[in-house]
Amino acid sequence: MSTASLRGAAAVVGVADLHYKRGEAPHGELRMTLEAIVAACADAGMSPRELDGFVSYAGGGHDGAILGAALGVEEVRWSNMMWGGGGGTVAAALNNAAVAIATGQAECVVVFRAMAQEDSGRLGYAKYFYGPHYLAHGVGSPAQVCALRTQRLLEHDGVPREALRALVLAAYRHAQNNPTAAGYGRPLDEEGYESSRMITEPFHLYDCSRESDGAVALVLVSAERAKAMRPDAAYVLAGAQGAPGGYSSIIDNDDLYTSAGFAARPGRSGVADRLWAAAGLGPDDVDVVQVYENFSGPAVAALIDHGLAPAGPSAGEVLTVDNLTAGIGKLPVNTSGGNIADSFVNGMGLAVEAVRQIRGTSTNPVADTHISLFIGGPMAPLVSSTLFGREDTL
Amino acid sequence: MSESSPEAAVERDDVDARVREYLWGPAADGLDQPYWDGLVAGELRLQRCGNCAEWIWGPQWICGACHTFDPGWAAVEAVGTVYSWSRSHYPFITELADRTPYVTVLVELPAADNRRVLGILTGDDADGVRIGQRVVGHFELDEGATWPLLRWRRDSTEGARS
Ligand SMILES: [Zn+2]
Repeated sequence: MSTASLRGAAAVVGVADLHYKRGEAPHGELRMTLEAIVAACADAGMSPRELDGFVSYAGGGHDGAILGAALGVEEVRWSNMMWGGGGGTVAAALNNAAVAIATGQAECVVVFRAMAQEDSGRLGYAKYFYGPHYLAHGVGSPAQVCALRTQRLLEHDGVPREALRALVLAAYRHAQNNPTAAGYGRPLDEEGYESSRMITEPFHLYDCSRESDGAVALVLVSAERAKAMRPDAAYVLAGAQGAPGGYSSIIDNDDLYTSAGFAARPGRSGVADRLWAAAGLGPDDVDVVQVYENFSGPAVAALIDHGLAPAGPSAGEVLTVDNLTAGIGKLPVNTSGGNIADSFVNGMGLAVEAVRQIRGTSTNPVADTHISLFIGGPMAPLVSSTLFGREDTL
Repeated sequence: MSESSPEAAVERDDVDARVREYLWGPAADGLDQPYWDGLVAGELRLQRCGNCAEWIWGPQWICGACHTFDPGWAAVEAVGTVYSWSRSHYPFITELADRTPYVTVLVELPAADNRRVLGILTGDDADGVRIGQRVVGHFELDEGATWPLLRWRRDSTEGARS
């Protein structure tokens, strides 16, 4: 049994989120990554030269040595990339930075992600990511893989389709208060959602995340240093990543097919269980949630996996538009507008919003937020979550 | 060779063309060759461990149950039930754009310990597809295609049997 604990060892002290309409980034990914890192350091009130750790996840192209050299850092002590696409390890990247700090491997770690269609494309990549046994049968995108799983979640498990719609409509409601959201000034109602074109059933257009250009960075330091830097630092209370055994076996033979990947198996704790156990908290303690929604269905499954909503038909009793709305409901979700109504830089912007809720600077602030949950890419082969808390939760 | 040289550009174009031409078919590493040979022979073949009889899908170099390498292949009756489905309206795959919308089914195979395989559901039956419906596989070689594919139809005897 390990004696080292992640709980409260590290905190986010600086954030930056630059996003642009798809294809309209003024610069490539490396330049935007550097801009985001410099902006996050400015937000933290420190020099980028103090950074000694760099963490990205699946698909990021720039390692710590490249970034460190460009920024003129004193030393690079930690340079890591988390395996796992589809946003699955976006929270694991934060956990990785916290692990480095908790174990003394590094002192000041930036977690980053940048995307520019000009540099890396997206749908083109997705198409050839899938092997011949998917492509031959018409499946060439994450939307279709998630649609197959979501169809069973609805038709077999009995989760009402209105729960998916509620998640989307709440995101659009939040975006109306967020001037930098792509969905700002574009309210969406039930009629607009239902009449939008089908992409891959059961997903309508609005069930799908946006694609943006941009870059996001979050700077983490030790708790000791965070306390000296700012009173509203977001402390990592717990982080977990993984995949249940029998999950992520390829070509849709997963045992827990309609799980988002956080669920437990008989006799084995799942990612969500480990998160709650490490934090000494449970789903009822959470004030606000940011859940990665590449598509609405996996996000609903992730809320169920984390115990935030019941499984099956009764999920619909918790997952209503009002209950998911900040200032109104008990389970405010994706309060910036999320990947669906705000922007999509591979889901890293959601982590920034999780931090803003702790700071009280969200455009849809949830009053007196102490515990803020960030859930990484559900239904990806490997998934992760991070739980943030205010200083007085330690 | 420099990235920006014309030769490099030509090579890149050739690679892209090759990927498009062989969008499906055996993987270059040879792992799933028996699957595709099976389709040509009019059989659905999946991996089955010769040591412990475990059914394995998608293709693996090793049996996860007993750790035998190159576990072997066996023919399985292409009859099963719809485990899930999605109707694709957006032309995600250029080569299938003229089929859009089409229904992809994930089919559970009782004869292979309920391993699941993907396929396109053909015919008018696709309109009313539901989880749990019985489906029967057949093998189709599209015009101009290199390899046949496993496709599915609703079992017309379903009503009579149940
Ligand atoms: Zn075996």
